[in-house]
Amino acid sequence: MIHVPAPDPFTVFGMPRSLDLDERQLETRYLRLSRECHPDQHRNTDAGDCIAVLQRSAEINDAWKVLRDPWQRARALLELLSPGALDRNKKLDPMFLGEALELAEAVAGAHGDRIAPLRTRLEAAVAADYDALRQDLRRGDHDAAARRIHMSHYHKKALLDLDAKS
Amino acid sequence: MSEPAASPPTKPRLVVGIDLGTTNSLAAIRAGKGARVLRDRDGEPLVPSMVCFHPDGRVLVGREAKALRLELPDRTVFSVKRLIGRSASEVAAEARRLPYRVVAGERDLPRIRIGDTAWSPEAISARVLQQVKTTAEQALGQPVQAAVVTVPAWFDDAQRQATKDAAALAGLDCLRILNEPTAAALAYGIDGTQDGTVLVYDLGGGTFDVSILRIEDGVFRVLATAGDTHLGGDDFDLLLADRILAALPKATAKPPVDDPFVLQSVRSAAEGLKIRLSDATEAELQLDLGPRGTATLRVTRAEFEGAIAPLVQRTLDCVQRAVKDAGLRLEQIDDVVLVGGSTRVPLVRERLRQLTGKPPHTEVDPDLAVALGASIQADVLAGNDRSLLLLDVIPLSLGIETLGGATQKLILRNSTIPTSVTEEFSTGVDDQTAVDLAGYQGERELAQDCRLLGRFKLRGIPPMPAGLPRIAVTFLVDVDGVLRVTAREQRTGAEAGIQIVPTFGLSRDEVRRMMLDSIEHAQQDYAAREAIDVRNKAAAMVRGTQKALALAELPPDQTYAVHKAVKALDRLLAGSADAAALKAGCDELTKVTATIADDVISSAVTKALREEEGR
Repeated sequence: MIHVPAPDPFTVFGMPRSLDLDERQLETRYLRLSRECHPDQHRNTDAGDCIAVLQRSAEINDAWKVLRDPWQRARALLELLSPGALDRNKKLDPMFLGEALELAEAVAGAHGDRIAPLRTRLEAAVAADYDALRQDLRRGDHDAAARRIHMSHYHKKALLDLDAKS
Repeated sequence: MSEPAASPPTKPRLVVGIDLGTTNSLAAIRAGKGARVLRDRDGEPLVPSMVCFHPDGRVLVGREAKALRLELPDRTVFSVKRLIGRSASEVAAEARRLPYRVVAGERDLPRIRIGDTAWSPEAISARVLQQVKTTAEQALGQPVQAAVVTVPAWFDDAQRQATKDAAALAGLDCLRILNEPTAAALAYGIDGTQDGTVLVYDLGGGTFDVSILRIEDGVFRVLATAGDTHLGGDDFDLLLADRILAALPKATAKPPVDDPFVLQSVRSAAEGLKIRLSDATEAELQLDLGPRGTATLRVTRAEFEGAIAPLVQRTLDCVQRAVKDAGLRLEQIDDVVLVGGSTRVPLVRERLRQLTGKPPHTEVDPDLAVALGASIQADVLAGNDRSLLLLDVIPLSLGIETLGGATQKLILRNSTIPTSVTEEFSTGVDDQTAVDLAGYQGERELAQDCRLLGRFKLRGIPPMPAGLPRIAVTFLVDVDGVLRVTAREQRTGAEAGIQIVPTFGLSRDEVRRMMLDSIEHAQQDYAAREAIDVRNKAAAMVRGTQKALALAELPPDQTYAVHKAVKALDRLLAGSADAAALKAGCDELTKVTATIADDVISSAVTKALREEEGR
């Protein structure tokens, strides 16, 4: 089974290919596109139940899902700028993996008062990942950006595990 | 600003909103800025979701059926919404608590057995929908062909499809399957001008739903939904019913659970107790089951609340999950809205207020809110209102089975619909022309823990070496939350044949066959109904005329003529005359009495008939 990528979400929304989109503008655009293209607004035309109308509306919803999430937006952008970069850069620095392992153990053993500071630390790590990713993209270093996205998964996973405990 | 007319203006279409509930159903229609529920002649909007198959051949629906549930407990079907779109094994546990018989039919589908006939839950729901349709038509004075029908947000693909089938069987064009909490939110924010984030808590008879919506510029966007298709006011009743059963004398002839009469009486008594405990802090019950014994029980509200507390907690857990899934915190909820009759239970309101820190809104009658909201969406779909837009979500993730029995999620829960995903599949051996896929719905990782939606068989793949065909399969969830699957072989561009074998519910052929059957049955039912009506009318005429004859002073020849006509009709009644013969007898009597100068008799007949009709 191979995933067939959906149409490029930036094009669907008519937005610039950029990591930093104005979230308010994005949402307004989503609501406007939905009003224009949702099947409910086409009931009286012959296209009412047409698969093409559904497909177009699905494209808008699916693009919105990607664009509103900063990390999914980053993945989509990177895939456009450098197709395959995410697949080519799965190998991460052993030093980083060692730290990630320690973090996972810290999360597994955390309880009571230890949870809150650990969460603050992890949240800071995810935010730092994003800032670094922005720098990588600005420099045009797509391989570094891809690795950064993979690295951020460890931090996000640790946060999820921590949430599951409380 | 008005839009240029693309087509000649058409008369606004009449589309109603229907709340097809576990216990009651009703219809509503958009009226001006608001909406109104459609009531029957007695001003009653609620149609009990009950169907009674009378041994005399009549099929009674709604209040008439409810009136017979104690007399004919094993022939009066209710709560069928708990069975629809599910398998017989899934519903086995609760089927045991129902006074009517639920058996496993083919493909392990639940069937309701009445005498020699097995009814599908879809067919029962269709009867209820027909009754709602008739009530709506009487209230509106014109035929209703299309409707928006609501379902719990938590209904999966199979349950939605089954509900659509029920609507089709009832002769309704179902324009949309709408989620109940979403509909309720529409009822509260009718013109959508009040922006904000709303939590809808919907506790009905059999199901619980919670949805978080954002309302902005007339767009109602569902952010997340969660719930339990098996948690509702009926479960509160069952807890009380268990206490009543325990209070019954042990030495009854057969165990109460095997006695449909006892089961139904106890259920009704439990429901009554629950309702009283919403206002009173204590309620007493004296249940007299005749030869089967009596039970006296005193229940305090505190005891009742203690018993239902774990169930209420389960709903609150769902609320917290929905808020989390919406990416929000409880403090970010602006308004809390209550829907469903079971939200009248004080403990429910109190615990929800404690959790959210907001007094819940109760301005709209919780029994009517869903139908009212559905009628608003109906008006939008009829093309009469373009100012509102609803964006709903899919409640459960959709995936397909991969090697080793795991599921690969293709569409995640709470994705806005319509939504689609395309995956490419290939063949494993040379010249393979078919690929089978199994679609699942649910959150669990293993296929065996999710619900099998159906098997998709890709056919007509051109013979090629293994791995060479590229079949793009598109899974699209439409605006009803129902999955549509299409497939295309990429190299040849050929549309791959796709056959869907549903696991639950009815196959397309079955729906078609049942629709044909139902037209036939409708005629039979109508004939049976008419025969009974004519019989009642004839009996009333005989009684009325005899009474009048005794009072009136008529010349002997006229007395004789009337007496003869009455006697003839009475003989027809005593025998097994069919409807046509009875009708002819009635007409004859009317003719004879009409010629009589003294109007005592004709007015007596008219009066008797009016009384009969009024009954």
